[in-house]
Amino acid sequence: MSDQDPIAAFRVEAGDLLDQIEQALLDLSNRLDDRGLIDAVFRGLHTLKGSGAMFGFDALATFTHHCETAFDRVRKGFFPATAELVHVILSAMDHMRALVDGDGSGLEATGAAILGRLQAALPESGTVTAAPETEDAAPEAASEGAGGWHLRFRLPPSALANGTNPLSLLDELRELGECRVVALCDALPPLPDLIPTECLIGWDVTLTGAIAREAIEDVFIFVMDDMDMELTPLASVAIESAAGPAPQPEPGSSLPAAPVVATPATDAAARQAPRAGESVRVPAERLDVLMDRVGELVIVQSRLSQLANSGLIGASGEVALRSISEEIERLVSEMRDTMMVLRMVPVANLFGRFRRLIHDLARDTGKAIELLTEGEATEVDKTVTEQLADPIVHLIRNACDHGLETPEERLAAGKPATGRVMLTAAHAGGEVLITITDDGRGINRERVRAKAESNGLIQPGQALSDHELLQMIFHPGFSTAAQVTNLSGRGVGMDVVKRTIEGLRGTIDIASQEGKGSTFTLRIPLTLAIIEGLLVRVANGCYVIPLAAVEECIELTAEEDRRTRGRSMIQLRDALVPFLRLHDLFDTGAEPDEHQKIVVISAAGERVGLVVDQIIGSHQTVIKSMSGVHRDVHSFSGATILGDGSVALILDIMQLVATGQQREARLRAVG
Amino acid sequence: MTDTTTTSKTPWDDHGNLEVLTFDVGSERLAIEATDIREIVDLLPETRVPGAPPLVASIVNYRGKIIPIADLRIAFGMPIAAATPDSRIVVIETPIDGEATHIGLRTDKVHEVAVLSRQDSSDPPQVGLRWRREFVREFVRQADGVIVLPCLAAIFETAPRQLGSGPLAA
Amino acid sequence: MTASILTVDDSSSLRLATRIALTGAGYTVTEACDGLEGLGKAQGQKFDMIITDLNMPNMDGLSMIREIRKLPVQMGTPIIFLTTESDDALKQEARAAGATGWLVKPFQPDQLLRIAKKVLGR
Repeated sequence: MSDQDPIAAFRVEAGDLLDQIEQALLDLSNRLDDRGLIDAVFRGLHTLKGSGAMFGFDALATFTHHCETAFDRVRKGFFPATAELVHVILSAMDHMRALVDGDGSGLEATGAAILGRLQAALPESGTVTAAPETEDAAPEAASEGAGGWHLRFRLPPSALANGTNPLSLLDELRELGECRVVALCDALPPLPDLIPTECLIGWDVTLTGAIAREAIEDVFIFVMDDMDMELTPLASVAIESAAGPAPQPEPGSSLPAAPVVATPATDAAARQAPRAGESVRVPAERLDVLMDRVGELVIVQSRLSQLANSGLIGASGEVALRSISEEIERLVSEMRDTMMVLRMVPVANLFGRFRRLIHDLARDTGKAIELLTEGEATEVDKTVTEQLADPIVHLIRNACDHGLETPEERLAAGKPATGRVMLTAAHAGGEVLITITDDGRGINRERVRAKAESNGLIQPGQALSDHELLQMIFHPGFSTAAQVTNLSGRGVGMDVVKRTIEGLRGTIDIASQEGKGSTFTLRIPLTLAIIEGLLVRVANGCYVIPLAAVEECIELTAEEDRRTRGRSMIQLRDALVPFLRLHDLFDTGAEPDEHQKIVVISAAGERVGLVVDQIIGSHQTVIKSMSGVHRDVHSFSGATILGDGSVALILDIMQLVATGQQREARLRAVG
Repeated sequence: MTDTTTTSKTPWDDHGNLEVLTFDVGSERLAIEATDIREIVDLLPETRVPGAPPLVASIVNYRGKIIPIADLRIAFGMPIAAATPDSRIVVIETPIDGEATHIGLRTDKVHEVAVLSRQDSSDPPQVGLRWRREFVREFVRQADGVIVLPCLAAIFETAPRQLGSGPLAA
Repeated sequence: MTASILTVDDSSSLRLATRIALTGAGYTVTEACDGLEGLGKAQGQKFDMIITDLNMPNMDGLSMIREIRKLPVQMGTPIIFLTTESDDALKQEARAAGATGWLVKPFQPDQLLRIAKKVLGR
């Protein structure tokens, strides 16, 4: 089921770990003495180092070791966490990500530069040294013990309870060479005082053969420090054995008093490290395949259901078959519902990345910036969130760089010194609505106009509406290299942002008030998201209208129908609303039903009535995109597979509202 | 669109052979490389797409995917005809705007997988052709008539935009 | 009857690597992702050996070892802890908590198997 490649598993896990460390660091930058956060960062770095070394990411392990060491010192109270230290470690995150993704080649200089800054960020006493971890095994003279060994040992009394098996130790000795073992029972108490789980027997072993001292010590490696052992080369055995039995060690003498206190997991730690096992990572394409299979199952199920109800089966068999068919129908529908939500992820994942961005921007611009988010639980198809990341990064950079003023300017303008960037997400009309708002200086129209004129995008003095003027900033020729700053100049321009959004079949709008700030609104259709749809029938075709866009459904009376023939406005209580007869629009060539219905939809504040034959009901639906050959068909945002396996088209609300508005405008122009 | 010249080349193998599936559309016998064929299925319930180009006027649920159904009669200017008991959908995979896309071809009868030889092949004539020349790659003469190797890339890359469209297309 | 081993580690890649090595050698492996879950598993079933990381969320390895040593069912069960440091104080502390032995990370599969063979005596 899960991938059997530990390296791939490590990369995924390291990515998660880095995200967790980063979040903890960001929290820590606000609460520098929070022990829980310091521990969380240390533990994250420690795990990363350990696993990295396990899977051959040596450069990562070495680099992370330095960061870990620094945090270990903080954890142990050698010096406090400082904003500078947190910042350096934050910048190290990106380097670690690069080391996780690649083989580390060509990154040495970057790593060294970061370590240099780390060094500088630490107080003298905390100098990070690349403490090489070497076992300090003292080499012994090779000739020692060439003839064999005599050893006499007693395990600590707790050895048995703690999992050391004396028999297997003796077996290991026997594997080294010829062995003569004598048990030493002198330390055993009288039977009534004997505690069966305590190990009070000693052993006297004579081992013959050319055996290195380390080989013997290796057998006892785990108990060496707690046990009594005399180890002598065989030549001196006679003298040793004359010395009599070794004194019995005082029980537990070598054990330090260890406090038996469970460290309670702090809230922060619990939050930073969600328990594994709660989620499983699955490649998105596997979900697509599964979704398709479920779609097939739905069709086969409907054929089964038809057969069960066809009367072709004998009466007795039919009852049984029908009950099986109904059972399968229930299961298939449940499975379908479950499948639908699998690809959805909350935008919180996306928004989380921007905290770091704001942190860096605040530092780089010297401005005080706070980030507010809203609607983080809004779920969007995973691919949509991935494609939205870059455009939003650019808009945030823009807001921080051009929008927000310096603290001094803000105070002078009567605003709080700290600038505010707000990110919101919400579902609206079958779309995701994402806004990026800043409370900065707003867009200076005169400067936009001057720039557009000097770049030759418009004629000097050309009349433009405010909307048209603001749209200039999305023009490919608007931003020029001379004007981009260090921040916004990186990566993409506003024209690319607009193109990316349009590539998602979305739109981008600006609202800006000088002195008050700007809002960018992204509307993205949920390409593969679930929407609640209203299923309607027009002639013999079924269509889905996103329910969120539906305002009301009303009857089109026969009288009104006649009266409005040839016109396209209807009186809806106090307002005239344009409407579209879908029979005409879709060119069905069929006669409309006698009692038609009007579904009133709204988008972007405009209303349009859609005249349909029948309202079938609400229907939860997965939007499937249509292939490239239908890219020029604008009335539909996609299609969906209905319960019976047939395909219904999903109406593109924005497009239909626009069509309605055009008709209305045309009508007004005429009349 | 710049790659139509490359995709329109027939991929004859080193021995000048090509494995194809042959089928009838109207009065013509067509062939498509076996490597482009995904499956042959019975007719599926189709959903008309208002405003779509007539060539690809409907969509179906093919194994849980929404795929367009194409009627090559439109591309070759033949009259529309009703389905027969022999009608099948040949599902092919072809790049549209650089993306591998499944399309169902409505056929009147599917024949067989055959091996064509380059020696029997000729370019479409410069004049006197009833069809748009770019829609045909080659003619291949067989004992029982001529087989047309259509140029799917040209048909699907350019046809939707040029072959008329309903009232909704922009 | 194959020996059953409980592995406790918050790193799933490490659990995966450990599982591949151990199951490949014929051992039966049960996994837990932190000390708390490890303790829970240890309460329910006698294992022939437990391999645990020390640095883990929810309950660290040392605390888990101390708790497991209070369980009659795990009396004498060898517990090996994984550590990145050759830190004698830490080893001392872990042994005092009731650990049987340790394995220094990074380790190779054969090192792991040698330790398993050593403490299991088979």
